[in-house]
Amino acid sequence: MATTHPAPARPLSGPTITSRRARLVLEWVAVHSIAIAAALFFVMPFAFVALTALMSDRQSLTPQMWPNPFVWHNLVQVWHTPGFPTWWRNTLIYAVAGTALTLLSSVPVAYALSTFRFRGRGLAMMVIIATMMLPPQVAIVPLYLIWAQDFHLTGTLWPLIIPLAFGDAFSIFLLRQFMLTLPKEYLEAAKVDGCGDFTALVRIVIPMVKPAIAAVGLFQFFYCWNDYFGPQIYASENPAAWTLSYGLQTFKSAHHTNWNLTMSATLLVMAPVIIVFFFAQRAFVEGVTLTGVKG
Amino acid sequence: MTRPRLRRRLAGGAACLAVTLTASACVGSSQGGASDNPSAKVTITFWHGWSAPNEVKAIQDNIDAFEKAHPNITVKAVGNITDDKINQALRAGGPSAPDVVSSFTTDNVGEFCTSHAFVDLGPFLTKDGINPTATFPAAQLSYTQYQGDQCALPLLSDAYGLYYNKDMFQAAGIASPPKTLSEFDADAVKLTKATSSGYSQLGFMPDYHGYESTITHFAAQWSPQYFTSDGTSNVAADAGLKAAYEWQKNLVGQLGGYAKLEKFRSTFGDEFSDNNPFMIGKVAMAIDGEWRAGMIDDSSSKVSYGVAPFPVPDALASQYGKGYITGTIVGIARTSQKQNAAWEFVKYLTTDTNAVVSFANAIHNVPSTTAALASKDVSQDPNFQTFITIASNPNSNTTPSSPNGGAYQLTLQDLGYAYESGKQADLQSGLAKAATQIDTDIAQAK
Amino acid sequence: MTTESVHRTAVRVRGRSGAPRPPVSPGLRRRRRRELVRNLAFLSPWLLGTGLFFLYPLITTGWLSFTHYDGFTTPTWDGLDNWVFVLRSYPFFWPALRNTLWFVLVVVTLRVLAGLALGMLVIRVKRGSHLLRTLFYAPYLAPPVAGTLAFVFLLNPGTGPVNSLLGRLGLPQPGWFNDPAWSKPALTLLALWGVGDLMVIFMAALLDVPRELYEAAELDGAGAINRFRHVTLPHLRPILGFAVITGIIATMQYYTEPLVAGQVASGQIGGSGQQVEPGYPAGSTLTLPQLVYNLGFQRFDIGAACVVALVLFALSMLFAAFLMRRRSGFLTGED
Repeated sequence: MATTHPAPARPLSGPTITSRRARLVLEWVAVHSIAIAAALFFVMPFAFVALTALMSDRQSLTPQMWPNPFVWHNLVQVWHTPGFPTWWRNTLIYAVAGTALTLLSSVPVAYALSTFRFRGRGLAMMVIIATMMLPPQVAIVPLYLIWAQDFHLTGTLWPLIIPLAFGDAFSIFLLRQFMLTLPKEYLEAAKVDGCGDFTALVRIVIPMVKPAIAAVGLFQFFYCWNDYFGPQIYASENPAAWTLSYGLQTFKSAHHTNWNLTMSATLLVMAPVIIVFFFAQRAFVEGVTLTGVKG
Repeated sequence: MTRPRLRRRLAGGAACLAVTLTASACVGSSQGGASDNPSAKVTITFWHGWSAPNEVKAIQDNIDAFEKAHPNITVKAVGNITDDKINQALRAGGPSAPDVVSSFTTDNVGEFCTSHAFVDLGPFLTKDGINPTATFPAAQLSYTQYQGDQCALPLLSDAYGLYYNKDMFQAAGIASPPKTLSEFDADAVKLTKATSSGYSQLGFMPDYHGYESTITHFAAQWSPQYFTSDGTSNVAADAGLKAAYEWQKNLVGQLGGYAKLEKFRSTFGDEFSDNNPFMIGKVAMAIDGEWRAGMIDDSSSKVSYGVAPFPVPDALASQYGKGYITGTIVGIARTSQKQNAAWEFVKYLTTDTNAVVSFANAIHNVPSTTAALASKDVSQDPNFQTFITIASNPNSNTTPSSPNGGAYQLTLQDLGYAYESGKQADLQSGLAKAATQIDTDIAQAK
Repeated sequence: MTTESVHRTAVRVRGRSGAPRPPVSPGLRRRRRRELVRNLAFLSPWLLGTGLFFLYPLITTGWLSFTHYDGFTTPTWDGLDNWVFVLRSYPFFWPALRNTLWFVLVVVTLRVLAGLALGMLVIRVKRGSHLLRTLFYAPYLAPPVAGTLAFVFLLNPGTGPVNSLLGRLGLPQPGWFNDPAWSKPALTLLALWGVGDLMVIFMAALLDVPRELYEAAELDGAGAINRFRHVTLPHLRPILGFAVITGIIATMQYYTEPLVAGQVASGQIGGSGQQVEPGYPAGSTLTLPQLVYNLGFQRFDIGAACVVALVLFALSMLFAAFLMRRRSGFLTGED
C-alpha cells in the first residue's frame, strides 16, 4: 500500500521558497503532533489495562498508575480460573468451524449471484441486503424457541455454528461485489473450453478472489471470536459451552470482583486477537480495503 | 412454462413448512409426571446457585447425608446456576433439564407458579402430612407461593439488619446502636465527617444504588402492603411506603445532598469484594444481610463491627426487632420425569431440621423452618443469633411475589431514583403513576 | 446459443401482440431447465438459510407479537394488546427508541468523520505510518466486552485514571458511565476508539484518487479546502455511503457495549433479588435490542419482546430503503 505524500511535487527554488518551506514544516509539525496525540488516545486504554492487570488488588482501586509491586501472578491466577481454558477452546471451535462453514457455503452463492443471469437476481440481492440489515435480536425469540424446545440444543454452541453452513449475508455480499470486478474473458474462455460451472468456480474464480476470501474469512473469524449476544442466548446455561466473551463478562461477578483480576482476564482475551492481527496484518488490511473500496 | 409453476410450488411448500414449524414450536416442552416409583434406583439433577468453595462443600455434605438415608436416589448437583439459565432450561425441557432447581431470586416464583413451570408442591405436602404454616415462618411461606399455589419451598433465608462500626461509635460517643429512625438519623449525621469534595467517613449511604440500600429493604420497617387482596397495586395508598421514601430523602439531605453522596458512592469498591465500603471503614453503618458477618470474619478487614436489628419508625417503636426477609427457593421442574424422587430430596433439604441447621451454619444463612430457628444446634455466635431473632420476629416481612419477575420492585426502585435525585418532586403523584404502571404490567403478564 | 440471444429472442416474441407465438424448441427448454437446476444447486444453501433463519423467524415474530406467551404455556391470541402495552404503557420503550436513534445519528456521524480525519492524517505521515496504522486499527479488534470493561475502568468517576488526570489538571471530572448526561458520550468515546476499520477503508480510497487531479486543481489555484471538496470528496462518495450504511446497520444492533457498561458501572449483581436495572444510569444507555432481551428472557413476556423486535426491524428497513434509493445500480452490479 502506497504511503506517498499526496501534495504535488514542485521545484523548491525561487523567491517563494522560504514561505513554502515554512508552510511545509508547519504542516509536518501539525500533522505529527496530532498523530501523536491521537496515538496516545488509542494506546492509553491498552496501556492501562495492561498496567492494572499487574497491580495488587488494593492498588487497583487507587488512582496510582504504575504497579508497585508487579503482580505477574494475576495472569496465572486468571488462567487457572475454572473454565478459562474451556472458554478458550470453545471460542476457537466456534470461530474456526464458523469461518470454514461460512466460506464453504457463501462462495458458491456469491458466484451464482455474480455470474449467472436469472430472473429474481435483483430480488435475491435485495433479500440479502435486508438480511444484512436485520438485527439478530429481531429473529432471536422464535429461533431460540426452536433450538430449545424442538432440538434441545441450548447449552451448546451448535445453534450458532449450524446457521453459518447456510451462507452469511455479509460474506455473500462482499464476495459477490468482488467477483463482479473479475474480467469476464476468463470465464468466457473457460465456457468455450467446455468447463462446467462448478469447475469454473473452483479452478478459475476461487484462485482469482483469494484476497477477498481471506478478508471475508478473517472478518467472520473475528466476528465469531468477539460474539457476545449469541453465546449469551444459547450457551449461558451450560458453563462448559461458554466462550471468552461471555465468560469475561461473568468474570466480574459476585466472587471475582477484583478489578486487577478482571483486567488480567481482559488482557488475556484481547491479546490473542492483537497477536494474530500483528502477524496477518498485510493480508487483513489489504482484504479490508479490497472489499471496502469495491463496495 | 416451467418456471412460474415451479416457483408457485416452491412458495406453497415454504408456506406449509412455515406453518408446520410454527405450530410445532408452540406446543411447548414435554410433560413430566409424578408417576415414578420413589423407591426405584434413580438419578436426579439438582441445579443451585452457590459457587464459593465452602458453599459448594456444604451443599455436597447435605447431598451425601441424603443419599445415605435414601440409597436408591443419586443426586447430581450443578452449581453456579443463574436465573437466566434456570429460565432457559425450564422453557426448553429436554434430557438435560434439571429435576430440582434452587434460585436466589424470589421474584420469579410468581411466574413459575402461574405457568406451572414448577409443580404445585401442595399435594406432596399433604401426602406426607406436612403442615406448611406450622413448619415454615409466615414470611418465608409468602414468597414461595402465588395465589394459593405453593410451587416452591424456602431453602434457607436471609435476614437484613444493621451493621455498625463499634470503634466509630465509640469515637463519636454513641453508646448503643439506634433503635428508632430519628435516633438513626442523628447518629448518621454525627458519624459523618465531610471534606470539601467528599467524605473521610460517612455515617450511612442512603442512596438507592448503594448496594442493599433499596426501597423494599427500607420499607420493610413500616410493614407496607404492596397489593390489595384482589391483586391490584396498593402503593399509592400505603402510608408506610410513602413514609419510607420521605425518610430516605430527608436523610439524603441531612448527609450532604444527593450529588455529593453519589460522587462518594462512585468511589466504593465492589459489594462482595474485600473493598466493601463498610469493611474498609468508609461508612460507619450499613444495612446488609446475615452473610456479611461471615464475609467480614473471613476477610482481612480490621473493622470491629456489631450487629443489631435495623431501626424502626418512631411510631412503631414497639416493633423493634423486625427486618426484611428473603431467601433461596427450591422447586421441582414440571418437565421432570422423577417427581416423587425429587420430592424426597426437596422434603429433606427443606424440612429435615438437622439438614437445615447444618447447612445454615455452614454457609452462614438463616434457617428457614420454625423448628430449625429454635434449635440449639444453630450457631450461637451472638451476631448470628441477632439475625435468628430478626427472622423469628412475627413482624418481619418480605416482598410478595408477582407474575412478571418482580417488575413492580423495579418500578418502585425507579421511583426511588427519581425522587432521591429530585427529578420527581411530588411523591404522591409519583406513587400514583407507579401504581398504575404496576397494574398495567401485571395485566400484561396475565 | 448464448443466454444473450435467447433473451433477445424471447423479447422479440413477446413484443408482437396478437400474433401466435412460435413454439419453443425442446433444446431451449432443456437448457432452461438445466440452468434452473444449476441455479438452485448453487443457491440452495442460501435459500434454505434465508427461509429457515430469516423468513421463518420474521413471520413467527410477527405472529407471536399478537399473542400472550411466556415461554412455558402455549401462546394465546391477544390481538393488539402487546402493541398497546409496548407503545403506550411500557415505560422503557420510548427512551430506548430515542437512545437508539441518538446513537445512530451521533456515533455513525462521528465515526465517519473521525475515520476520514485519521485516514487523511496517516497518509501524510511518512515514517512510522505503518506503526500508526497498526495502532489505530488494533482497538477495533478488541472483543467488545473486553473493550467496554477497560473503558468502564478507565472512566471510573472516583478512582479512574482519566478523572485523576483531569483532577490534577484542574478540569471538571464528569461522572462518565455513572452520570446519565455523560453515559452516552462515554459510549461514543468507546465507539470512536474502535474506528480503525473505517480509517483503513478511507485510507485506501484516499490513496486511490489520481494524483494528477490534485496537481491540476492546484494549478488552477484551488486551495486545500477546495481541493478536498472538488477532488477528494467526489471520489469518496461510494466509500462514504458504504461506511454510513454499515455504520447504521451496526448501531441499530447496539447491544453488548451499553449492556455491559450499565451492568458493570452500576455494580449491581444479578441474583440479589431484583431484575437487572435496564439502561443504567437512569435508562440512558438503554437500546431497543436490550429491551428484546429484557422482555423476552427476564419478564417472561415474549409477545411484547416480539413487538419491540418488529419495531427494530421496521426502523432498519426504513433506513435501508432511504439510503439505498439512489444506489440501485450498486445493488445489482449492472453498469
